[in-house]
Amino acid sequence: MPKTLLTAEIEALVGRTVAYTAPEPFGAAEFRYFALAVDDPNPIYTDDAAARAAGYDGVTAPPTFITETNQYMSGAMDSHGYGGHGWGIEIPGTRMIRGGHDYEFHQPVKVGDVMTAEWTVVDVSERTSRQGALMVEVISEARYHNQHHELLAVNRERLIFQELS
Amino acid sequence: MSLAVGTALPPRELEMTPQRLVMYAGATWDWHRLHYDAPYAEASQLPAPIVDGQHFGGLFTAQVFEASPAARVTKMALRFRSMVFAGETVTVTGEVTGVSGDEVTVTQELRVDDRLCATSVTTAVLP
Repeated sequence: MPKTLLTAEIEALVGRTVAYTAPEPFGAAEFRYFALAVDDPNPIYTDDAAARAAGYDGVTAPPTFITETNQYMSGAMDSHGYGGHGWGIEIPGTRMIRGGHDYEFHQPVKVGDVMTAEWTVVDVSERTSRQGALMVEVISEARYHNQHHELLAVNRERLIFQELS
Repeated sequence: MSLAVGTALPPRELEMTPQRLVMYAGATWDWHRLHYDAPYAEASQLPAPIVDGQHFGGLFTAQVFEASPAARVTKMALRFRSMVFAGETVTVTGEVTGVSGDEVTVTQELRVDDRLCATSVTTAVLP
């Protein structure tokens, strides 16, 4: 039997789902903090009149802000300081690489939105790199809704577990 | 600014100081030690704390909004190529690669010197 990293346990991840709902609505300060962190001086994050003039219902946040799931959680931190979302995947003899994200932004976030992030594992597959190393790819998708069940964003994330030589 | 196929967006430069990494960690509640703890990064065989990859998404959209503040970003295909370390200065470049009605596609790159660290194909609807 050829060597594989794709155990039954890893394959069984497909379809697993988890949801996190923020305990309170967003306020304008969170939007401003994120805009400052990414050096985006657009006044739509801080000036209600400027946001309305640009077609928003008041101040909003940079598009990728709501896709950061940890802010909806109150999880205990692990020894790495991480207290956020994850599937707890550990594949011995590999290292994890983040491949990227495909985002869709459907509707801007506004003050008062109470967010839910709903994550699903959509696909798990294995392939061999050009160098001959095995790689397991895990594709997950998060859908971000507010309390009115309006879809604000979708985040498709690719994680790669690469065999160490 | 007017955006046609071939238009280069003004490049943006940003020093990814340790303070800026902490700002992003605080704004997103991601306290993984890789993003601020230098001895921890060293123990993980890294020269310095690493920038959270999703931080680049915000830098890419900021460049689009600088060119068109009332644009609506509708899609982003963000890809990670290599890590960026605390203290490095990133340069974001972008070029309009598609226009269809009021929708524009911008192809963006984020580099440290000659090292390509992230790319994005970003779609926005212009006002």
